Parts: sequence; structure tokens; C-alpha cells
Amino acid sequence: MTGKDAEAKARPGVALDAQAALALLATMWRIRVFEERVGVLKRADEVYGLMHLSVGQEGVAAAICSQLDVADSVYSGHRAHGHAIAKGAPLNRIMAELMGRSDGLCRGFGGSMHLVDVEHGLMGATGVVGGNIPLALGSALATRLRGGKEVAVVFFGDGAVQAGHFNESINLASLWGLPVILVCENNGFAEFTPRSAHTNVERVSDVVAPYGLMRETVDGNDVAAVWEAFGRFLELARRGEGPLLLECLTYRLRGHYEGDPTQYREALAATEWQQRDPITRLARHGTAAGWFDAEDLERAEREARTEVEAAVGFARLSPYPDVELLEELVYAGRRKP
Amino acid sequence: MARELPYIVAINEAIEFEMARDERVLYFGQNIATPSALEPFMDAFGGDRVRLTPISETAEIGMAVGAALAGLRPVVELYMSEFLLVAMDQVVNEAPRFHAMSGGQVKVPLVLKAGYGFTAGWAGQHTGSIYGMFMGVPGLKIALPSTAADAKGLMATSIRDDNPVCFFYHILLTLEHGEVPEGEYLVPFGVADVRRTGGDVTIVATGWMVDRALAAAERLAADGVEVEVIDPRTLAPLDTATILESVAKTGHLVLVDQATRHGGASAIIAAEVADQGFDSLRGPIKQITALDATIPYSEPMERFVIPDEDKIVAGVHEVLGSAPVAAKA
Amino acid sequence: MSSDQEAHGLDKDRLSWMFKQMVRIREFEERVKNTFEEHPGAIRGHTHLADGAEASIVGSLATLRGGDQVLATYRCHGYPLALGSDANAMMAEIYGKKTGICGGYGGSMHLVDVDRGFLGTSGIVGAGIPHATGAAWAAQIRKQGQVVLCFFGDGASKQGAFAESLNIASLWKLPIVFVMENNSYNVVTRVEQEDANAAAGEPLAIKAKAFSMPGVTIDGGDPIEVHGVVGAAVERARSGEGPTLVESKVYRLSAHGNIIAPPGIPLHYPEHEAIAVFGAPEEYEAALRGDPVPRFRARLIGEGTISAEEADEIAATVRQEMQAAVDFAWESQLPDAAEALNHVYA
Ligand SMILES: Cc1ncc(C[n+]2csc(CCOP(=O)(O)OP(=O)(O)O)c2C)c(N)n1
Ligand SMILES: Cc1ncc(C[n+]2csc(CCOP(=O)(O)OP(=O)(O)O)c2C)c(N)n1
Ligand SMILES: [Mg+2]
Ligand SMILES: [Mg+2]
Repeated sequence: MTGKDAEAKARPGVALDAQAALALLATMWRIRVFEERVGVLKRADEVYGLMHLSVGQEGVAAAICSQLDVADSVYSGHRAHGHAIAKGAPLNRIMAELMGRSDGLCRGFGGSMHLVDVEHGLMGATGVVGGNIPLALGSALATRLRGGKEVAVVFFGDGAVQAGHFNESINLASLWGLPVILVCENNGFAEFTPRSAHTNVERVSDVVAPYGLMRETVDGNDVAAVWEAFGRFLELARRGEGPLLLECLTYRLRGHYEGDPTQYREALAATEWQQRDPITRLARHGTAAGWFDAEDLERAEREARTEVEAAVGFARLSPYPDVELLEELVYAGRRKP
Repeated sequence: MARELPYIVAINEAIEFEMARDERVLYFGQNIATPSALEPFMDAFGGDRVRLTPISETAEIGMAVGAALAGLRPVVELYMSEFLLVAMDQVVNEAPRFHAMSGGQVKVPLVLKAGYGFTAGWAGQHTGSIYGMFMGVPGLKIALPSTAADAKGLMATSIRDDNPVCFFYHILLTLEHGEVPEGEYLVPFGVADVRRTGGDVTIVATGWMVDRALAAAERLAADGVEVEVIDPRTLAPLDTATILESVAKTGHLVLVDQATRHGGASAIIAAEVADQGFDSLRGPIKQITALDATIPYSEPMERFVIPDEDKIVAGVHEVLGSAPVAAKA
Repeated sequence: MSSDQEAHGLDKDRLSWMFKQMVRIREFEERVKNTFEEHPGAIRGHTHLADGAEASIVGSLATLRGGDQVLATYRCHGYPLALGSDANAMMAEIYGKKTGICGGYGGSMHLVDVDRGFLGTSGIVGAGIPHATGAAWAAQIRKQGQVVLCFFGDGASKQGAFAESLNIASLWKLPIVFVMENNSYNVVTRVEQEDANAAAGEPLAIKAKAFSMPGVTIDGGDPIEVHGVVGAAVERARSGEGPTLVESKVYRLSAHGNIIAPPGIPLHYPEHEAIAVFGAPEEYEAALRGDPVPRFRARLIGEGTISAEEADEIAATVRQEMQAAVDFAWESQLPDAAEALNHVYA
């Protein structure tokens, strides 16, 4: 079974099993290899602009997005590659976007921080910290008006929580009971600043304590834990309940952006990273549970490498967009004659 | 059939018509939809489509963006344009960016309905004419009606447009009556209205200043000066062609704008004409604008700062190198 | 005098002073309101009155000492009065006169009296909260033991600026007390229509939790209680322990503001929203029965702090003072038009 087939079978509301776990492993590897490859491409100046990589945080994107349907909306921020991959956006087109090519998800108009893939329900990513949170509320409101079952999920970092619109959004979402799931990837840092320099409140789930929403903090590097907690939240949201906040404690292994000299924190000892790495952890857990063997593990990584390499090849061959598009895209509804 | 309606009622009529016509249209904002205030809207469209929001402009406008991305067409009531300044990120850096950044995949059809220019003792924070600052935001459209009919027609077009639109209505015009067509009525964007024709000088005026310019033109006609008065009606898109055509005929341009002089609509129009119509000009362009000051509370100072009929008449004489008849005598 | 009064250093003189300030605010606001009939057209734009909030304002400000600072909202007539600003200059400002406390530039919504520590107000809901937080930061840097009181409405707590400011104030342990005057309304919106906590029947002070800050809810109609709680928060702030959120429950006895209308239409105060919008006259009548000014008067007389004659004398003095303020404002000159450009830049 290839990674993709397994992915298609992953279903929410059930405890993690062999099939789902293998799918998650495949997704995490795809993200990991993609991100590391982007790092290399950045140093070679082949991708354009600022790159915020999610190496170390793959478990959150994988465990959450793989339980969503295409029609569920996902909103992301500046660190969006993992979410896009996990939500099903094709690697070829993400890579082409990062290279500013016409086959990119956004035809080279968005770049790393603004990935949008409507076809796969990635409704938008914004480079303005926290700017996406009210957007997700709007999507949830739209679902409610249509009487649909879709949920809106928004990913944001711990840094976004101190921005006023977070508080505005929590009040509104609670007041109106919107079916939105707020997923905070708390990696302890906002750019180069530790959380303790931004707020007295260590846990994001405590920030929302005054509002009666469902909230939980999980170890975001424990994919099984994220899977399980999010599965419960998703069932509630599908029934129209909400809002819900899931805080995933995680760790970004690389700098804030690719090229960040990371002088503000100690590098993790390799042994410590082994303890945390969501991929290693799932591999250990799944092996112990008898879900997969060394062969499966090796294949997940190998397939990811093949696919990412193909994406690089695809992107390199894609032409740059036609500059005339620029004018066409200023306003919606403006088509060239 | 047209009847006389106040400007503000004409705007509401358009919202109501569009809400009845298209169930994707939402209307929300602060202090609307309380039991008595907006009963007709509530009764007609229900509490899901007509919603009261807290004082959270960033979340309100951000939610409108999200609902628009999800296929709805929100109209956000802001009452005063200054209140959208607290949500500048959503207005200038989210709503108008998504269409282009997504390579055309998504669109963000929403309307920000905001009053402006309330120079009636509201002092420094509720009186601004701030539309000009949005002209530098590609992807954002700006409607600025000066008559009740345009107010209706531009609101309807704003709602049907596939882009974020700042619909700035002039608070001093809210109770001014004008002929308004019944039923469906659309005024196209990017089409200026030549409100008066004349061969001697072109005045381009917006919003509340259009009536001031027309009154000035009337006085100037008595002095033998024939003024052409143009209301662009939308600043983005801007009907530069009509303005250039008029300047080609008159050779003189006076711009009348209630906004401050620097960074405003009139400065941008002046630049376009200097750039594209320089050969038509027989003299310098004149800008009659508010002075670059925070609008003071007290009436004499407030009046001093904003343009009026006298200043417009004087400006026209200045560009023509003429003097008013009365002064000549 | 009861023991809690003594505990807060509220002797007879101080209590009588507090009562007088409450009466001054009430009388001032009534004169402003009355201006719309007495001198139609003299007041332009928008006014917002503090009647009903006198106990909260005076109880809070009575805890301050010289050098402390205050920032507030467009509903700003009460604070400078209690801080000692000249009623004449305040009324003249509202009348748009040259002799006004801001020279006619600001009007009702933007009173400022820096010498008395009243640093200013914003007409933009919530905008004053970061301003006050910044003033508290300056106080922390100056190390002279100054405290800042920051007043705002319940509606303002829905603004992002509220959350951003309280987080920073808590993190930096700034010497500030956030006094939220919860009058249950944001214009014609009731608090439970816009606030998730209110909708759940919770006090708004609970919001402090999100910032790891103490939050208390008090009866803003009782100046002694206000004085005690705000006083403790001020001392906490002064001693470097950081900010407190005080939710002071008040009832505004007038409508949100005078009607909003283009020039030419006479302005006036409409009926309170409880009656005009929500059809709940009993709510408004109950609030009138709890009116903090007569309530405090009765208490002081009942406890023998002042006599009925003394109370009447205070009221009479205040009436004269405010009559003089109205006369002064009415007779003062308007500014010269060209002064408009005097203060574009400092
Ligand atoms: C409103 C805004 N302020 C500042 C920035 C610059 N900035 C980019 S990423 C970032 C840190 C965000 O931290 P966090 O939300 O924790 O996400 P993380 O990078 O840790 O994933 C900042 C401050 C921005 N993009 N937007
Ligand atoms: C940012 C912003 N949005 C809206 C308004 C319009 N407005 C003026 S006062 C007010 C009500 C504020 O309510 P609250 O904070 O409870 O204060 P109160 O007037 O009750 O004292 C509103 C919405 C404004 N001035 N600023
Ligand atoms: Mg972070
Ligand atoms: Mg209030």
C-alpha cells in the first residue's frame, strides 16, 4: 500500500490504527523531506523569498488535516507548507509556487506565505500573524448559514495569541457558537522571542479560560495524541458545536526562517531530539504496536524522497508566469479580452 | 419610476433589494438589528443574515473576508469610516490581497459601508474624509456617491462586484432627498457623471463637494464663466478618460476635495492629468481641498479648514486669471 | 462613620469632599444636557454624559495622589471635574469657545488637562487603553511611584486593543488599574448581545484571567466600595505588583449620547435605550431608585457624617458654580477661524 492509498483510508473518530498510522507516517515524511529540500533550495537560491519551515511540527499538520474532508476549510499562516501538504495540495504545485512559477498553486502570485488551494480546501494563508483567525470564523459562519457539516480549522502560532484579533475572535466565536476549530501550534517561540517574553500565561489554552469553549493542550509531537484529541473535537464540530481550541505543544527544529542563525536558543542535543521527533516517536510507537515494520518505515521515507525530487524537477521546468497576468489579477472578474 | 428619497434610505433600499435578490448577501455590524432599529431587515431576512456584532472591527471585517472566501457576500456596517482604521490589516492587507495572491483562485466580494466627512462638530476623530488613502491599494474598489440615486445604484453594484469595495457615504448628505429609481438600479463603476457641462473650466469634485461645486458653477455662470462639473463617483476604478476629455475641451482643471491636500484623491487625479493630459492644460491645475489639519471642534475653525463655495469660485478665477464681476466693478 | 470608611482613611472631610464631587459631576452633566434647550446650537456634534457613574468616578479618583495620571474615553466630563479642572473652561470647551480647556479644538469628547494628570481621551472605542498602558510604562521608567487609572466601557473590552494592552501590562507589571465601567450598554446593544461572558451570566472581570491578572467586580454605585477596591488595586500597582482589572457596575442615567443628525436639525437627548429600544422602563426606573448621588447623600446623612443642611448647602454651591460655568461658556468668544492651523505640529 502506498502512502497515498493509506491516507485516503484514514478516517476520524476512531483510535489510531495500523492503516491510519501508516498514512500519518507517510504524510509526515512527505512534509519533512519537502521542508528539508526547500532548505537546500533556499541556500542555492532556487526558491524565492522568506521560507518558514515546519520541520519538527509535522505531526500536528498530519494528524489534523488527514482527518478532514476536502470540503472542510483550512486557514494557515506564514508556516504553511506542512498544512498544505497534509490537506492534499500536490507537492509539484507547492514547489512550483515556492519557485514563483506559473504552475504554482497560486500561479506564482502568492509564494510561501500565501498558499491557497481551493480545490483541496486550503482556503488561505496569510503572512500577517493572526490575520487568518477571523477569516476562519467567517467560513464557519458561512457553513452555518448553509446548514452544512463542514468545519473550519485555523492554524496559528503561539505568537498570534497576544494579538488583539485573537481575543476579538474568541469572544465572537463563543458568543455565536461557531463550528470552528482553532489549532495553536505552540512552539514556544515567536520569531526569536520565547513565549515568556510575550506573556505571563504559558499555556494558550489558559488564555481562553474565561470563555466557555472546549479547550485542550496536547503534546503536539505525539501524533497519536493529536489524532485522538482532534478526532473528538472534529466530531463535536461536525455536529455544529464549537468553538474548540486545541493547543499542540511542539518544537520547530530549524530557525524561524530558513537562514535564521538561531542565536536566541540552545541547539537541541541529538538525543533530546530523538525523544521529541514526531516521526521517530510514531515509528517507535507503531513498531511496538506491530503496525509497521522496518520495511514500511523505509518505504515511507523513500517514497517521500522520490515524490519531492519529482516535484523539484517539475517546478524547475515550469515557466515563470506571464506578466500580463498581473493586470488581470488586480480585480476579480477582470478577464483579458 | 423614480421618487424622492433621502440618500440614506436609498442606500438601505439597495441593500434590501440585493438581500432579497441574492441569499448570499449578509448584513452585519455594530448596533444594528436591535429590536426596533432594524426590524424590517430582521423580519425579512432573519437573524442569521442580519447580525449584530460586538465592537471588534478587526474580527468583523476579518469574518467578512472569511465568509466571502466561503462564497457569501457580506455588507459590513461601520457607521463611521474611522472605525475601519482599527482594522487596517483586514481592509488593506487581507481583503484585497487574496484574489491576486491565490493566482485568481478565490475572490473576496464584500462591502464596507462607512460614513465620512461629518464636519458638524464631531471634532478630530469622526470627521475625516479618508478615502484617498485607499486609492493606493490595488484590488480594493472605492465608491463615493454624491446623490441619492447614485447612493442606491453604487451600493447595488458594490454588492454585486466580486471584489472588496469601500462604500463611503457622506454623513452630511444622509437626509438630502433626491430622485431615486425604484426596483433594480445599478450604477456602473468607473463611469464618471458629468453633472454640468461647460467649456471654460473643468471641476472634478467628490461627495458633498459636488453640490458645492455646482453652486459655485451657478455663481460663476453669472460672471460669464462656463464650468463643467464632473463627479467621478468611484475613485477606484477611476474614470480618467472622462476627466481628460473634459480638460481637452476646457484647458483648465480645478479639483475640489473635502479631504486633506496631501495624499488625497485630488492629488492623484491631478497627477493623472499632469501625466496624461499635460498638453491640454492651458494653466496650472488648482486643488481646492481641506487644509492639512486635524478637523477642530469649534465651528469657525472647522469651517476654515474645509472647502466651500467661495473657495471654489476663487479657485476658478485664479486658474482663469480672471476676477469676479463684482470685484471688477 | 463605619469602620471600612476609617480603614480607607475616609474622614468626614474626605467623605464630604467626595459627595461634593459627585454632585458637581451630576450638576455639570445636567447643565450640558439642558444646553440643548437653553442655548440650542451651542453644542455641536456628540456629547456623552457620566450621570450614574459619579460614585465610580469619584471613588476611584479619590484613591489617587499628586502625580498620578488618568486616561478615559469620550464619556469624559466627570474625571477632570473630580481632579480639580476648572468647570468654566470645561463647559467653554463643550461650547466650542476660545476659553475652553482645549481652546475649542477638542470639544466634549476630547477634554484634556495635563496639569491635573488628565492626559486625554480617545473617541475611538478601546484606543485609550493602550495609551494608558504606555503612560504606565513611562511611570514605571520614571520610578516616582506614579499610578495610572485607565477608564473604559464594557463595550471596549471587545476590542483587540483591550487584550493586547492587558497582556503587556500584566507581563511588565505596570503600575496601572483598568477600571471598566460596565453600564450594560454599548449604544443600543446590550452587553449580553455582544459579550460571551455576559451571555453566559458571568461577570466581565473574569476576562482578567486570560492575562493572569486579578479581576474584581464591584458595585460602582457605592463610592466607598469603589474607593476600597480601587484603592487596594492602586496600592498594588504602586508597590510594583502589577495591574488589576476592576469591573465597576454602573448604570448610565441618560441615553448613550445626544441624537446624531446633520446640521440644521436641533440636537437633544432621547430617552434611555432601556425604554426607547428595549421597552423595559422598569429597568430604568430601578436604576433611578438606585441613583448613586441621592443614595450617597442619604447614607452620609444617616451615618451622621454630614447634615441635611450641609448637603443642601453643597448642592446650592455647586448649582452656582455650574451656573457660572454655563454663563462663562455662553459669553466667551469663539476662536478665530485661522487658529485652526495652530496645532498641526507640536
Ligand atoms: C502582525 C504581524 N506582526 C509581526 C509579524 C512578523 N512575524 C512573522 S512570523 C512572527 C512570529 C510568529 O510566531 P508564532 O505565531 O508563534 O508562529 P511560529 O513562527 O512560531 O510558527 C512574527 C512576529 C507579522 N508577520 N505580522
Ligand atoms: C472603534 C470604534 N468603533 C465604534 C465606535 C462607535 N461607538 C462610540 S461609543 C460606542 C459604545 C461603546 O460602549 P462602551 O465601551 O460600553 O462605553 P459606554 O459608551 O457605554 O460608556 C461605540 C460603539 C467608536 N467610537 N470606535
Ligand atoms: Mg511560535
Ligand atoms: Mg457601556
